[in-house]
Amino acid sequence: MKDRRKGPIGRAAGIAEGVAAAVRRMQREREPRVLVYDQTGYARLIQPEARGHERILEVGERMVQVATGADDGRGGSRGGGSEEAA
Amino acid sequence: MGATLTPERTAARLCELSSDARTAVLIDAAGALAGSCDPDPERARMLGDLARELFETVDRATRDWEAEPAEQVEVQVQGGAVFASRTPRWTLAVVARRGALSSLMLYDLRAVLGELEGGPPIRVATAAEEGAPGRASEEDAAGDLPVPELGRDRDDEGSR
Repeated sequence: MKDRRKGPIGRAAGIAEGVAAAVRRMQREREPRVLVYDQTGYARLIQPEARGHERILEVGERMVQVATGADDGRGGSRGGGSEEAA
Repeated sequence: MGATLTPERTAARLCELSSDARTAVLIDAAGALAGSCDPDPERARMLGDLARELFETVDRATRDWEAEPAEQVEVQVQGGAVFASRTPRWTLAVVARRGALSSLMLYDLRAVLGELEGGPPIRVATAAEEGAPGRASEEDAAGDLPVPELGRDRDDEGSR
């Protein structure tokens, strides 16, 4: 089977597709999420609309704030902190 | 390295193992802080309380699931990630950088808890130039491989 020869436009389109996919992946990975694992390592996602999801995220964010020293006394506020604040 | 891991040392052990770990805490079954790698005791106490609350909240959220209670939890938030693992006796929680690999962090948590509970100690590999002299040749290193090297048997037979 022959590879289809790509010209400069095809190569540029390929690079653009790769960049777009990477951006989409990074955005997806940055979305807050909660996963729980059983003893066998089987993962389950706690859905955003599920009971307790919001509270778990608040506790997680609070832990990150405390660990990074960004503790400003707020209890469970959402959306603070930078990735490399420490 | 041969010494038994103590609860006081457990969180620090995890922070040594993982470069993505910012801080870690160990709490006992009663929820009391048993160890931390955070130098600030007040912060360690807060993290311990939050780790206990994390599993309590997860247990409430998953109460209706037809599954065993969660052994490990991963929470990804904007500024980082929290991973926690528990046994009937201990809960170990770590705050990690956002890009930390989940599988590695969860594996490290389980391995450190296993070591604390009397399991085999974790072997940490060192780079050849940093390690002790000896065992530096490729032939010696190949001896550690779990699979036989291709062509080795034939060479051995030829030399007999």
